[in-house]
Amino acid sequence: MAFALVPSSSRRHARQGGATDRPPGDRITATGREIAAAMDHRRSLRTRADDAVMARMTADPRVKAALFRLVDVRPACADARELGAHLAALLDEVDTGDAPAGVHTARKIADGRFTAAATGRVVALGVGQMAGRFIVGADASASVPALRRLWEDGVTTTVDLLGEATVTAAEADAYAARCALALDVLCAAAATWPARDELLERDGAGAIPRVNLSVKVSALTPHLRPDAPQRGIDDATARLRPLLRRARDLGAHLHIDMESLDDREAVLETALSLLDEPEFRDGPSAGIVLQAYLKESPAHLEEILARVRAAGRTVPLTIRLVKGAYWDHELVHARQLGWAVPVWEDRASCDRCFEALTRTLLRAFPLVRPAIASHNLRSVAHALEVQQELGLAPGAVEYQILRGLGDDLQGALAARGLRVRAYCPVGDLVSGMAYLVRRLLENSSNDSFLHARQSGTDLDDLLRAP
Amino acid sequence: MSTTFVNEPLLELRRAPVREELLRALAGLDAELPLAVGVLAGPDAAVGPRETFDSTDPGMPSRVVAVAQTATDADVDAAVAAARAAFPGWSARTAAQRAEVLRRAAALLRTDRRRLAALAVRECAKPWREADADVAEAIDFLEYYAAAAQELERGPHLVKVPGERNELRYVARGVTAVVAPWNFPLAIPLGMVAAALAVGSTVVLKPAEQAPACAHAVVDALLRAGVPAGAVNLVPGFDGPARRLVRHPDVHTIAFTGSEAVGLDILQAAAVPAPGQRHLKRVVAEMGGKNCIIVDGDADLDEVVPAVVRSAFSFGGQKCSAASRVLVHERLAEALVQRLAGAVDALVVGQAEDFATDVPALIDEDSQRRLLEALAQAREEGTVIAQAGPVPRDGWFVAPTVVGGLRDGSTLVARELFGPLLTLEAVADVDEACDLVDASSSALTGGLFSRNPRTVDHVVQRSPVGNLYVNRDITGAMVGRHPFGGNRLSGTGTKAGGPDYLLQFVEPRVVVENTMRHGLVV
Repeated sequence: MAFALVPSSSRRHARQGGATDRPPGDRITATGREIAAAMDHRRSLRTRADDAVMARMTADPRVKAALFRLVDVRPACADARELGAHLAALLDEVDTGDAPAGVHTARKIADGRFTAAATGRVVALGVGQMAGRFIVGADASASVPALRRLWEDGVTTTVDLLGEATVTAAEADAYAARCALALDVLCAAAATWPARDELLERDGAGAIPRVNLSVKVSALTPHLRPDAPQRGIDDATARLRPLLRRARDLGAHLHIDMESLDDREAVLETALSLLDEPEFRDGPSAGIVLQAYLKESPAHLEEILARVRAAGRTVPLTIRLVKGAYWDHELVHARQLGWAVPVWEDRASCDRCFEALTRTLLRAFPLVRPAIASHNLRSVAHALEVQQELGLAPGAVEYQILRGLGDDLQGALAARGLRVRAYCPVGDLVSGMAYLVRRLLENSSNDSFLHARQSGTDLDDLLRAP
Repeated sequence: MSTTFVNEPLLELRRAPVREELLRALAGLDAELPLAVGVLAGPDAAVGPRETFDSTDPGMPSRVVAVAQTATDADVDAAVAAARAAFPGWSARTAAQRAEVLRRAAALLRTDRRRLAALAVRECAKPWREADADVAEAIDFLEYYAAAAQELERGPHLVKVPGERNELRYVARGVTAVVAPWNFPLAIPLGMVAAALAVGSTVVLKPAEQAPACAHAVVDALLRAGVPAGAVNLVPGFDGPARRLVRHPDVHTIAFTGSEAVGLDILQAAAVPAPGQRHLKRVVAEMGGKNCIIVDGDADLDEVVPAVVRSAFSFGGQKCSAASRVLVHERLAEALVQRLAGAVDALVVGQAEDFATDVPALIDEDSQRRLLEALAQAREEGTVIAQAGPVPRDGWFVAPTVVGGLRDGSTLVARELFGPLLTLEAVADVDEACDLVDASSSALTGGLFSRNPRTVDHVVQRSPVGNLYVNRDITGAMVGRHPFGGNRLSGTGTKAGGPDYLLQFVEPRVVVENTMRHGLVV
């Protein structure tokens, strides 16, 4: 959800837009400070230790690259010996004259005839542990206990079924079947959960389902083609429609995740045109995603709001506001092809866009349900202040975090009486690895908010208006 | 130079308005069909009626795209004479002056790019994305060689001593004959022509009989940009004009891209001086490939499957760089077969003008027949793993097919088929795959999927191919970024779009001048 940003020189540049249209900075700072204090209070020793280890291992960019490539290849290795061999080969590229201490020794051990397999086993264990922090279970059933614990802690969830890329119709069918099964399993389980605070189950616009499943259109069809969106739309629609019916009949929420810009049009159109169909007028609860890192995102939001108004559904559409998770991809892709870069290239512009979209979204409640998905304390504090300024009830705005990355924030916000939803990936080791690498990159990026916070950047700097 | 050259951006086809512009350009072109393509053979060429031939839409052969004149022997001779006459004037210009003309031609192509892409869609059934890339590459060749020729003109650094002035100059060799293929109907003819023009050569272009209108369009742009009449000539037709052209005694350089058989014939013909010929001919030949993708056991099939499908089947496999053989580690073979089969099932075979099309018609009836025969052989000697379908009835369509389990000695793993047929073999390890690649007579492109840096290094050391692609598609070489060309029987080892390509079109001359007289150094 959050994303890495290139070092910004434009932080000090003059602001765009009207400074009058924002809550006073000191109130945002004060709110941010309160949340930060609550977060620090909640950080577990385990998380602190993990982060410290990760910080040490990723301090050198070459070691970090080797480490993440090792994580990436882990499930493809036949055995521990092969994993050890990969570690040795990846460390070759790091083991130069100015390598950090320990690299040379590590490579020697990984290369050793008698030690390679043992090294591989240690690596496998480490990767498994890392994955466990971000992934709640191998499948829907296995993840129920973790989801229930979160519910009992006053935190609601959305489940994302990780998987390999869909390149065949059979894989698309299998993903749709996993989604259907997950809806069944989760709805059956959630029915037995104890009643919680009204906040989690209802807002001013109506009931909020306990079960919330995030689905990916790219997993529902092998036919996505950026040059021919209709081909993917037609094929994905055929698999998404039964899922929407099932969600409606079970009373679950279905959220359509957004992906790269290549497929944006197809993803949005698949979701919105299906929801326009008469049979879905009164349900299910459903949602889409808005990516603030896209320079065009304000126009996207206007377009979405216009369509929501015209559709006249009785259940408000949830719009999850994120920064966007494909920033590096969009930048590199556009640069390689010589296209105008579609994403903000500096953090401040993106943060300003996020705040402007927050305001538009919150004003649109209850036509739509806003969900603010960010680990950036400033963005969250800003949303809280806008929420208050507009006189919205606590439950009118949902705050979302990623499991494993935003756990501290989740606790701090829930403690303030806000509805927090944790995005919980579910999957086995093979399918989880790509997700894990993305999250690790995010967590260790020099430009990420989380990294800045962990590495001791002054809180006032982090809370300053972008 | 390399610091100033930037590849022409492709159109952003993911945006609907961009696609709509292309469809409008196609409608505009359709209203003008058939186009007329004439012989351009200088001021002294005979005028009057000639025989003509049709170039047709491969996806709908009843649609005539162009009616082209067939160049006669006299036309070829007149074209070479015109090129020879224009040579002193054109080669006397500075590289900068010639570069200015080439850059103007690039600007004209840029202005016309939608119509040119539409022409490639119609005349060669090139799907939009590929057709647009073809235009962009044509622009790239003009700009890259324009800059490279200016760099070349500065000459290399020589060892200097007092009292002596040394200079190495690269001088245009003379008339260049270009024999071009249809599969990159704009970029390849123009690339070869532009290289020759950039260094001061004059040119006679014999385009493929399947794509005379595309060749005419790029020649037209050069002339409009200011290339003098006679410096570039066009002799459309079948084999006849090509055979006469490459044997002509006044031709100095031959630039050829096409099949191995024709390439070898040209090399042989060029080796024999014609009566009255006072120079050796130089041949730049870019021929076929039997390109393999090696998939090691640690590869990520999520990446492998789409890359293999694109490399083997985009534009129906009709690229010299296309993949025709997959060598997969036995550990992954079963999973790859299954996923590849499903991905091929999902391919859409259709008209090039439809943005939803993955695989268009093949270029002509001969290609269709060749591939259908190969498919029949594949059924006999192996197992069909997957076949896309259905295919449209009219037009030269062939269903993309993956074949496995070929018996030992099957010629299908050795013969270039230039169509949508991919074979798959399991290997015990990367070295077995490298042995199979090494046993091949061609060495154009190759691919490797591995996540182990030591494996990558090892395969790099063992690969004879001209262009090896690691963890990506094996087609789509970019001018200036991926200089392109093959070794062994795949070509003369020259690299189009690379820093040393122009050296094929020039001869080096060294001048040493004594600058000391009576102890005075001037």
